Amino acid sequence: MGQLLSGLWGVWQAGRAAAYGIIAGVAVSQPASRRATPTTSEKVANAPLSVVAFNSSIATPTPTSSSSSSSTATTPSTTTTTTTMPSQPQPSQGTTTPSAAPSTSAPSTSTSTSASKPAKQQSSKQAPKPKDNASSAPAGSSDSAALTPAELKKKAKAEKAARRARERADREQPGAAGGAPGTPSAKKGAAGPGAGGKDSAATTGAQQQQQKGQKQAPRRGSAQLSGQPSAAEVKKKQEEKNVSVFGHLYGQQRRTTVAGAGKEVHPAVLALGLQMRDYVVCGSSARCVATLLAFKRVIEAYTTPLGTSLARHLTTHLSHQITYLSTCRPLSISQGNAIRALKLAIASIDPSVPEADAKATLSDFIDSFIREKITVADQVIAGSAAQKIQDGDVVVTFAGSSIVKQTLLTAHKQGKKFRVSIIDSRPLFEGKNLARTLATAGLDVQYSLMNGISHAIKDATKVFLGAHAMTSNGRLYSRVGTALVAMSAKERAGGVEVPVIVCCETVKFTDRVALDSIVVNEIADADELVIAEPVQQLTGLPDPAAPAVELKKGKAAPPPVEPSTASQNMSSPLKDWKDSANLQLLNIMYDVTPAEYVDMVVTEMGSLPPSAVPIVHRMSTNL
Amino acid sequence: MPSSSVALTPGLASFLKSLKTNPIDTSIDDLISLLKRRQIRHSRSCATATAYLLRSVISACRTSDANKLIERVQYVGRRVMAAQPREMVVGNIVRRVLGLIRDEAEDDREADFTLSDAGSESQPQTPRILDDISESLSARHDGSDRSSRQPFTSLSAPPISMFSLLSHPEPESSLPGTPASASPSGRLPSQIHNKDIRAEVLDGINEIIDELGQVDDQIAAYALDHIHSNEIILTHTSSTTVQKFLLKAAAKRKFTVIHAESYPNNHEATHATVSGQTPDDDELLSTEAFQKPLIALGITVILIPDSAVFALMSRVNKVILGTHSVLANGGLVAAAGTRVIARAAKVHQTPVVVVSGVYKLSPVYPFDFDSLIEYGDASKVIGYEDGDLVDQIDVQNPLYDYVPAESIDLYITNLGGHAPSYLYRIVSDHYRKEDINV
Repeated sequence: MGQLLSGLWGVWQAGRAAAYGIIAGVAVSQPASRRATPTTSEKVANAPLSVVAFNSSIATPTPTSSSSSSSTATTPSTTTTTTTMPSQPQPSQGTTTPSAAPSTSAPSTSTSTSASKPAKQQSSKQAPKPKDNASSAPAGSSDSAALTPAELKKKAKAEKAARRARERADREQPGAAGGAPGTPSAKKGAAGPGAGGKDSAATTGAQQQQQKGQKQAPRRGSAQLSGQPSAAEVKKKQEEKNVSVFGHLYGQQRRTTVAGAGKEVHPAVLALGLQMRDYVVCGSSARCVATLLAFKRVIEAYTTPLGTSLARHLTTHLSHQITYLSTCRPLSISQGNAIRALKLAIASIDPSVPEADAKATLSDFIDSFIREKITVADQVIAGSAAQKIQDGDVVVTFAGSSIVKQTLLTAHKQGKKFRVSIIDSRPLFEGKNLARTLATAGLDVQYSLMNGISHAIKDATKVFLGAHAMTSNGRLYSRVGTALVAMSAKERAGGVEVPVIVCCETVKFTDRVALDSIVVNEIADADELVIAEPVQQLTGLPDPAAPAVELKKGKAAPPPVEPSTASQNMSSPLKDWKDSANLQLLNIMYDVTPAEYVDMVVTEMGSLPPSAVPIVHRMSTNL
Repeated sequence: MPSSSVALTPGLASFLKSLKTNPIDTSIDDLISLLKRRQIRHSRSCATATAYLLRSVISACRTSDANKLIERVQYVGRRVMAAQPREMVVGNIVRRVLGLIRDEAEDDREADFTLSDAGSESQPQTPRILDDISESLSARHDGSDRSSRQPFTSLSAPPISMFSLLSHPEPESSLPGTPASASPSGRLPSQIHNKDIRAEVLDGINEIIDELGQVDDQIAAYALDHIHSNEIILTHTSSTTVQKFLLKAAAKRKFTVIHAESYPNNHEATHATVSGQTPDDDELLSTEAFQKPLIALGITVILIPDSAVFALMSRVNKVILGTHSVLANGGLVAAAGTRVIARAAKVHQTPVVVVSGVYKLSPVYPFDFDSLIEYGDASKVIGYEDGDLVDQIDVQNPLYDYVPAESIDLYITNLGGHAPSYLYRIVSDHYRKEDINV
């Protein structure tokens, strides 16, 4: 009995370590990439790096579990299964478990060659290939060929049911975590302690992250700290925290880990999803390009299963990737447009074309789409928008649009003398990167936050804005706060209106219409608004050592749940906003600027009034 | 009033404490340095400190000559105002005290006059015609008083004019310090010497101090006239006046409050106000620290970043704003970001209500708006972690915005609701022309 308990203890420890690995992996990838100036290309180039981080986090369970359970090596088989449970989507499948192993070998090669484009391709080729071998040799050929359609359907149904059950278990975890790690009953019992361990590890990890000023942590952490409510209570509580006007937008919470992702999802897409969730890849065009590049790798790694054609099956295969991406963060308009174009291209492939040729065609299509719709379009837009800037201008811009940045840099290169005033907002502070880039390039930059709008606009001569999308009724759908800037430009006290120029690729045009910012919007995690003080980063230095210490201490004194550290006490008054009734935090991502505030939309097809958006959109989609 | 808290950090509480013990010149220097260092920030704290300081200045001034008193107050006032020229409340209080002295001096002269010449009824009234218009209630009150004391006042005119000085509508005349009850009793013994202006001025200052203490509650009394059920109200910054206003309404009605956080200068206080955690800002007087938050009264409070104001404005019924100071033209100087909010409200045809005590109302006409704006700590915008960036770019952190009168629909002061265009009347009621330039 004692042996069994200690064995379970080892399991629990290992589970903790596994969850740690995941969170640490994300944590590592976050600050590094957030500090980096994310131009479109750079952002994309980041992808393989954090694939590495993600892969290595998967790899961690194996060594840690063996080390921690070395003293009590009683049930090695259970340790491995339970450690892989939280991180691996489908441990029972057998196809994914081997796939993880080869993909972990990729990091060493891709890190050494850094994050350049060839490296990316290299890793992309390397990672999926063994998987193909592994999956197609034992399972792929025999399994899917032998099964009748009815059986396939049944299998899919079973998978779905299993996934649902797991999701439910996930939700119940907070409640289960409090219980003692024991009483194993069939399969769920095995998952219980693992899940519990993972969860408490997530809590400690969350605390750590809170100190480090990371987001994403409080989601689980705070939910757990507030007693051990049942799943229903949690849900109710969640709903109470939703702003009722925006109730339709809450939907599902953003995915926090890659756990539970379908086995079809390509590692590159997995990583991209997390990056998009954490705003590492942020901005409409950047997300679009990154998605297309990831899909290119998906297509490269894709083999058509027997019995279907590429044109038919690839679309469904891609839709798995798309579903995963949209659970990480709702898709942008540009992403949607790009995906639509890609699906159209796939559907138009002749089934008789050999697979290799078809894949090459699609790769070419993606490349040319990126080039035509975004890369070259950006250059054209930057060129024509830069012409609008004259010597002595004071250009006001909001947040950090990549196309506006390019425009300003182009104008600067043309030798124009002008000043830039950047207005920025919480919580993303995208303007900071823009300010840094422009200042480094030698421009005269002034920076203020939302409270300084009326001062910044006072001596402005032009306003340049980026766009998330342009709606068919000519309204600008862009980062929240844009409308305020455009409004201040138009309603200036002096009576002299400042021209508002929007730079926008036509790929961001949509046939949707919007009247207000409430019907269509995106809700981000409200915890992002809770200010994590950067000072704590300095004071909380013992962090790196903490896990090691805790692991040792943990053996002596079980459940080491220390909810608060000294530094947490001085955190913001919003820290436990989820526990105070009636208090809601709202963190919307976009707002809609009325068409009358926009004087001109600069696109790659020319400079248009906002009323021309639907026509251009029709033209560009019908082509 | 707030002598309870043990204030270690320099601020209003420590100043008021030291005022009793320190010699007057030290206190003046003390306040000047506090203002200069912005250790007294809130406009009400500034007003309170100034009023207390002037009270001790006058009580320390061993003269009964009105001109000397005026000179002394002017001298001190100029110095204190120069310490923080953008804190107009300081000037307002100085002007009101000067007005008190002048009124007293005039009354004395008139009293001398009426003593010799058996008092015509109209003459003592001349200085108070202006006041009567705005405050019918107190005027009626005064009138009844006067008629009842007619034989007595004909002997000594000053009590009549005293009412005009201290006239603030205080329906509950039982309250201590209200003009109706306090001033005659305080006045009666002093008129025997007939010359002691100082005592009367001190009484007047005490009433100003009382007014400062009660002003938020008086404003809050109007809350139910302006907030209806199920309303969605947007506010900005952590103004205690606004909070009290909303709390008063929350006791009776259910509504929703959207609170813009006013990052980066006031967000901490806003977050504290919203979540009901006691702000560790010792400038706020102790009574407010124990105030219940709105959420405790069942009011849904939605905290939003400032950028989301436009997006949500279409849902908002009313914008209620606090202010830093109000100018005679109906414009106001308020926390940075207010102007955009008021503009956005205007665009959406949402009424903008400003709640402000009369003491914030300044007789200054703004000709140069930029001179009203104070710029704050840039490190709040970009922290020192980004030191390399700060070196390269020009970071701005304005503390205040000038909001033009057109953006405001209604002012609610402790005297009631006014249109912005009416404010100049209230200005002329409260300040004398001679004192507009101290």
